[in-house]
Amino acid sequence: MRTVFLKLGATVLTVATTLLSALYVTSHLKNPAAPLQPAVLTASGASTVSAPGGSLTFGPSVQPSNVQPVTSTYAS
Amino acid sequence: MPRSALVDAHHFEAMGTNCSLFGVGLSRGRLLEGEFWVRRMGARLTRFSPDSELSRFNTSAGRWIDISAELEALLRESLRAFETSAGLVNVAVLPSMAAIGYTRPLAFGQPLATDARVGPLAALPDALSVRPGAARLEPGAGIDLGGIAKGWMADRLLESLGPNALANLGGDLSAGGIGPAGTGWPVGLAGVTVLLRDQGAATSSVRRRQWGEHHHLIDPRTGLPARTGLEEVSVVAASGVEAEVVAKAALLVGRELAPVYCATHALAWWLSP
Repeated sequence: MRTVFLKLGATVLTVATTLLSALYVTSHLKNPAAPLQPAVLTASGASTVSAPGGSLTFGPSVQPSNVQPVTSTYAS
Repeated sequence: MPRSALVDAHHFEAMGTNCSLFGVGLSRGRLLEGEFWVRRMGARLTRFSPDSELSRFNTSAGRWIDISAELEALLRESLRAFETSAGLVNVAVLPSMAAIGYTRPLAFGQPLATDARVGPLAALPDALSVRPGAARLEPGAGIDLGGIAKGWMADRLLESLGPNALANLGGDLSAGGIGPAGTGWPVGLAGVTVLLRDQGAATSSVRRRQWGEHHHLIDPRTGLPARTGLEEVSVVAASGVEAEVVAKAALLVGRELAPVYCATHALAWWLSP
């Protein structure tokens, strides 16, 4: 008889824990439509312009200029 | 428009590429000291000379050997690059370079690929161990410091050139200070001028140093020349060595993920398929 009560208790505890967990997760969703990848491109304040042969994107800490460059980065 | 100060410039060839040093108010002697330092470091870090410190380290695989403070710093930087790039930037590419025949400067003739198949590279921390003043390579492993060395050297040059200077070593550059006009150093990036202040820039490409179906940029996931849908990436980052690491990782991560990778690791970037 004692074994039956122990099994029943364990089963009730397991089911209750599962239900409570499910309820907690469902009620604490930050954003149900969140994409798998964070939208870092739009969040970074970056601006993209077309450049010869590709796309050039500036973050907020780098600004383009009309000044003649003293040197360039290039493949070597 | 702020008035520009006179820029002192010094150009020379070293490490198989063009190098330029710039500064405001720098003496000729300081610029020449920079050139000599580049030549000394280049001679110690090249993998093409059997007498270089790097080559001696590569041939001593399997045992601990004493290394210079500079090589130790570069090896530690390489381990950091491996970690921050999730393994995409792996300097233990020497066996793959040998397999595709890139064992001497391309100016000496086109490489001849061998039949050897290296396969995916081992994780760098498994192949390379560093402790103060010494390092050890696992047997069969080999290091090619490549662009990491140039970016790191450009950063170090700024420390000796002064607070308002720029070093460009074959496209890997580091800019310190406010530049000649007080607004930053004007640097060309994909045909556009950007102003850099205490930042670095670098370009990673498979368009240069290519022969037949091969090129020099190894994908550590395959051990073969990378095919990722991107052919060239230029980035601006917080330092020269960081720019080099981010540019290479962005090229290797591929066309789909590179914009997201750059948005989280770079300050400006140019992606060319």
